[in-house]
Amino acid sequence: MNDISEAFVSSLGLILFLDAELLEIILLSFRITFYAVLISSILGIPLGAFLASTHFKFRNTVVSILFGMMGLPPVVVGLFVYLIFSRSGSLGWMGLLYSPTVMIIAQVILILPIVCCLTFQIIESLHTRYHEFFRSYRIAKLKSVIAYIVDSRFELTTVVLAGIGRSISEVGAIIIVGGNIDHITRVMTTAIALETSKGNLDLALGLGIILLTTAIVLNGFILFLRGKYLKTSGSTI
Amino acid sequence: MASEDTQIRINGLSFDIEGKTLLHNTNLSLNGDGITVFLGANGAGKTIFLKLLTGLLTPCSGSITFEGGNISIKTRAFVSQEPVILRRTVLKNMLFVLEKITSEKSTLAKELLSLMGLDTKEHQNALTLSAGEKQRLCLARAIITDPEILLLDEPTANIEPNSTTLIEKYLIQKVRSSRKIFFVTHDINQARRLADEIVFIHTGRVIEHSSAKNFFENPKTREARKYISGKIN
Repeated sequence: MNDISEAFVSSLGLILFLDAELLEIILLSFRITFYAVLISSILGIPLGAFLASTHFKFRNTVVSILFGMMGLPPVVVGLFVYLIFSRSGSLGWMGLLYSPTVMIIAQVILILPIVCCLTFQIIESLHTRYHEFFRSYRIAKLKSVIAYIVDSRFELTTVVLAGIGRSISEVGAIIIVGGNIDHITRVMTTAIALETSKGNLDLALGLGIILLTTAIVLNGFILFLRGKYLKTSGSTI
Repeated sequence: MASEDTQIRINGLSFDIEGKTLLHNTNLSLNGDGITVFLGANGAGKTIFLKLLTGLLTPCSGSITFEGGNISIKTRAFVSQEPVILRRTVLKNMLFVLEKITSEKSTLAKELLSLMGLDTKEHQNALTLSAGEKQRLCLARAIITDPEILLLDEPTANIEPNSTTLIEKYLIQKVRSSRKIFFVTHDINQARRLADEIVFIHTGRVIEHSSAKNFFENPKTREARKYISGKIN
């Protein structure tokens, strides 16, 4: 018990004095999360909006596959990306294995279905209210998809935050494709796993506190946005 | 503009859903001007008929043709019973339906909002308007598209009396002379106030079609007489 409390105090010291190693790991985590969520949102939100507002022959099949992909096991995704980017893999010539770029790719594969499916659910309910209006005024498809996204902006913010939460706490895929290399691909989650196994609880706990704080701040922000939305719109979707 | 020469011909129009016929083989010739009111009890098939005219529904058989005028699908505007309001300001709701926003259209939007008593609320979030204000906004938004035909599905069903009065006054004084209006209602008094022509629908069948004066003074069918006397709701 004493060891834990000592480690806890020591970890607070690392955070307060902005330990260089800790800072480097945190910044890399945030950078990877930022790009992974940005790419997933740019692709996933319009795709989700399009699927929610369009009927075509294999739509239900596509939606079912995407919903199934929400539960992709990270280690399997990591293995899949590893095989593709390893020397003998089809994209091995790019030399991206054990780099932050391939970690972002793995994260996009994990987050994209989540962003897309949550967007689909939000916009599908809006579509039931808007589609007759859009049809009667012959609103162009692109304009209507943009309107769905603009009018769901508060809810979509929570989708993006859900993506950030998933990305920043992910460990299974990125440890396989990133390799947890010091100063290159070591992020908060992989560092926690490593430092815990080494018995270096100060750094592991310090990173744990940062991760936990990030999750609490994100959830608080979601609640704040929801309250703001309910206050300004006067209605719910 | 729809003119007196314009006729809207409806030939053998019917609409089924899941084996149930909601509109039976309908043949009509409607005036191209004035206000035609679709009157009938709840569930009679009025809204189905209106949506077929709007093009929102595709008939199972039959056709609707516009003769002697220049009315096309592009010149119809539909206002539903439940106002559809986008999550943006009142003015932006108005401008959304336009293909191209010009300074003339922006000015027209403000004029229409003023006519609808919404000029002080143009920068307000449209979702915070009252039910009547929302419906007035929907009507103004329909007018800005400059439609030849305005199709209104019980637009005053759920709104306060002053908004109903404003909308009716606007339709009679400003719209009737320049556009064809189809108006769905089950309110006999409203039909008396607005209608030039009545199409009475009962259980999916058009059973009476005549001028408003004839309909209310000499209804031909037993159902119409019962409806006017308030025995069918």
